[in-house]
Amino acid sequence: MGCSSSLPDRTSGRLAGPNIENGGAPDPKNLRVKLVLLGDSGVGKSCIVLRFVRGQFDPTSKVTVGASFLSQTIALQDSTTVKFEIWDTAGQERYAALAPLYYRGAAVAVVVYDITSPDSFTKAQYWVKELQKHGSPDIVMALVGNKADLQEKREVPVQDGIDYAEKNGMFFIETSAKTADNINQLFEEIAKRLPRPPSS
Amino acid sequence: MTELSFNLLHTLEPRRDAYGFALRPQHAQRYREYANIYKEEEGERSDKWKDFLEQIAKSSQPCSSEEEYKERLHAEDTECKAETISESKEGDDSRSGKSISDGSEESDPKKEGQLSKETKTHKLQTWAQIRPSLGAIEKMMSFRVQKRKNMIDERETVNGNHLPSIEEAESLGGASDDEKDCVNETSDDNENATRTEPTPVDEVSPKHFFPWKEELESLVRGGVPKDLRGEVWQAFVGVKARRVERYYQDLVAQEANDGGSKVHDDSSGVFKKWRRQIEKDIPRTFPGHPALDADGRNSLRRVLLAYARHNPSVGYCQAMNFFAGLLLLLMPEENAFWTLVGIIDDYFDGYYTEEMIESQVDQLVFEEVMRERFPKLVNHLDYLGVQVAWISGPWFLSIFVNMLPWESVFRVWDVLLFEGTRVMLFQTALALMELYGPALVTTKDAGDAITLLQSLTGSTFDSSQLVLTACMGFLAVTEARLQELRKKHRPAVLVVVEERSKRGRAWKDSKGLASKLYSFKHDPGSLIEEKECTEGGNNPADGDKSPLESHSSNLDELLNSLNVDSEVDSLPDLQEQVVWLKVELCRLLEEKRGAILRAEELETALMEMVKQDNRRQLSARVELLEQEVTELKQVLADKREQETAMLQVLMRVEQEQRVTEDARIIAEQDAAAQRYAVHVLQEKYEKAMASLAETQKKVVIAESMLEATLQYESGQSKALSSPGYMRILSTSRNDNSTRKMGLLSFGLGWRDKNKGKTTKVEESNESKSTNEGIDPKSSGNETKNEEQET
Repeated sequence: MGCSSSLPDRTSGRLAGPNIENGGAPDPKNLRVKLVLLGDSGVGKSCIVLRFVRGQFDPTSKVTVGASFLSQTIALQDSTTVKFEIWDTAGQERYAALAPLYYRGAAVAVVVYDITSPDSFTKAQYWVKELQKHGSPDIVMALVGNKADLQEKREVPVQDGIDYAEKNGMFFIETSAKTADNINQLFEEIAKRLPRPPSS
Repeated sequence: MTELSFNLLHTLEPRRDAYGFALRPQHAQRYREYANIYKEEEGERSDKWKDFLEQIAKSSQPCSSEEEYKERLHAEDTECKAETISESKEGDDSRSGKSISDGSEESDPKKEGQLSKETKTHKLQTWAQIRPSLGAIEKMMSFRVQKRKNMIDERETVNGNHLPSIEEAESLGGASDDEKDCVNETSDDNENATRTEPTPVDEVSPKHFFPWKEELESLVRGGVPKDLRGEVWQAFVGVKARRVERYYQDLVAQEANDGGSKVHDDSSGVFKKWRRQIEKDIPRTFPGHPALDADGRNSLRRVLLAYARHNPSVGYCQAMNFFAGLLLLLMPEENAFWTLVGIIDDYFDGYYTEEMIESQVDQLVFEEVMRERFPKLVNHLDYLGVQVAWISGPWFLSIFVNMLPWESVFRVWDVLLFEGTRVMLFQTALALMELYGPALVTTKDAGDAITLLQSLTGSTFDSSQLVLTACMGFLAVTEARLQELRKKHRPAVLVVVEERSKRGRAWKDSKGLASKLYSFKHDPGSLIEEKECTEGGNNPADGDKSPLESHSSNLDELLNSLNVDSEVDSLPDLQEQVVWLKVELCRLLEEKRGAILRAEELETALMEMVKQDNRRQLSARVELLEQEVTELKQVLADKREQETAMLQVLMRVEQEQRVTEDARIIAEQDAAAQRYAVHVLQEKYEKAMASLAETQKKVVIAESMLEATLQYESGQSKALSSPGYMRILSTSRNDNSTRKMGLLSFGLGWRDKNKGKTTKVEESNESKSTNEGIDPKSSGNETKNEEQET
């Protein structure tokens, strides 16, 4: 059971599939990506993930303690697949102390705010700065304004989001986990922006 | 109060488990399988506990037996002490409770029934004594709390009737630091420290007074019966010993006042923040649970807000909502509050504070223990790039709530609360790794490993297996060992925390703390405004400026309470003194902060240097290894190429072989056809030969006949030399003879010709030439022609 654990190539011989990668050359056709969601408490991080992975929406979802994990694979038009390994982190400020554990080594960071809460937008900017300082240098960052279905309660103008994202070289999109608006687009766009390993 | 609704709901809605929690659809099937096992276990359990409680009730009767007498004496001694304390606090109900339990065992169940009925009927009751039969356990456990309690007592007497508010809470929080170690060490002599009576009894560990402790331990591992659980937990945590009369109500009242009128001085930034967070989280705590209706949520809110006031160094941390919610399902509101106090202040001291230091330390400790116990598994996880803390972090922080099935959560909590340490956290996590490690090492990528572990953990319905594996399989994981490891890993965490807080300071308003506080003196409103605006503007930094924040919040609280005092006194020069004192205090704090900062800076600089040194070495090694790896990869690639080349060659050879084989088969078929043709030819040849022989015979006959005829003719011509006759005869005979001659000459010629042909056919038979296919036809034709001619 456990004896061959650290030598996965041994038994598979020359039939070794393309996905066996010793951190070296990943398969350019089947990417695996670690993605972390950051943002203020209650902006809908978990809801975005649940919508994307399970296609569900629960208006009274549970508080996330620490972090939770889900994964989802999507296929792109150029016949590549991207497997997102999603870490959904807890939103409360003090849990920021644990966030490095999850964003370290992440290829993608999705910073979420709530378009009805300027506070959450400020918090999002804090996360962007933190990631710029301590995240991977080539991390792909997306700024997401969630709860776009609550137009009448909007307090963060779209333009603010666009401007801030542009200034920081991020990809920007407004989503609604409730109506599923732009959720898949968000992840597809991210997939397109991923740095591709040189195809051999 | 909730039990009834659970049962009702359970029958109505099978989507929820016996505790009223929603079941995940993928687990419904397995839950149903285990529901009967749970029921069975529950039955056994309640019998065992009943016997046990009866037994200890009997044994705690004074002078019950001679052998126990001496011990009883000692026990009585401590009991009395414990009771005098509780009496001073809670009046005389504990005494009466005890006398009932001492009275007769038979009356116990009745009393219990009465009690639980009471809790059911008086829904608004926020505090209830636990049943007397658990008194002995409660007494034993309250040893752990004794010291803390004494300190509170002292505070109480000093403060008189003053509201036991933030000041006290603060001292409580402060005391907890010093106390932590003492409490965690088995509370042998903690009484000695504060008590003046130097009785030898105090030196003996509680085990001596409670010979049934081990039996209780094994019972707890087997699980606490459902209907006793709420009260047993309270007994374990020592709620009675912790409780201060009116303390909870005062906190709630205070909070209600502040929450209502936000203009009030007291509503400082942190409280507002916590209040907002609690509001956000209440609907997200066990959403849809039948017991958390409007009333239930209000209770939850009150408990959480009261706790935030009680211990501002923690305030409110996500996860506490689940704990409070869970406790509220099992006990009345105030009991839940005190149980929560016990868990967060004692068992998880330093876990849920702004910096979450102990929680981070525990993760490092757990990783080390994992490496010791499961080196192969950890190797595999390392290889996949999975950090143990990613998974264990949420487990520890939530104390497995929402991570395991509920039955298992309760079983783990039973042991954890009984032990009064976090050992069970580690043991449970290790047990899960033991149970699921073999499956984990088969995974091929990080995502699969984590998903697998999450789903396996979420379906750990066999709660007995889990708890027994945890308790029996990892006996070497003890509190002492954990403390040792914690001490080892704590400095690393502190360094990181300091770095973060320093970074956070960059975000901070340029205005110093002192100036802020000074302005507070002149215009209390302005500080609040400022606080608000800094909160709005610098909100994200809050997480980072943590130590400072809690500092300032504590300070604010202190100042606030001072302010209240001065308002009450309303003496001008006293107020001035207060102001001066405040300024002085600010100055001192500023100085202290400066000193701490400098010390931190030096420390981090040192650490940086050490780290950089290490880093250089490491990076050199990493480079070397990387080079090796690339070389090896190169070699591997070359080998592969060679292999494929070889393979291609092999393939080509194989193909050629196949072609030649095909050719051979075709040739063989040809040969067979030819052989057949030859055979046919042979037959024809024989036939032809036979007919030739016949013809030859005929020819011979014809020849002999011809000769005979010739002889006869010559004989005749000699005899009949008459010309007339000769003429007639000659004409007729001429005719005949020419015909016969022709036939004869032909026959002779053909014979000669045939002789030549025979040799030819024989030649062709021997050579088996390729153009033989055509030959039989032509020869056949020839023979046909010949036959026709003959």
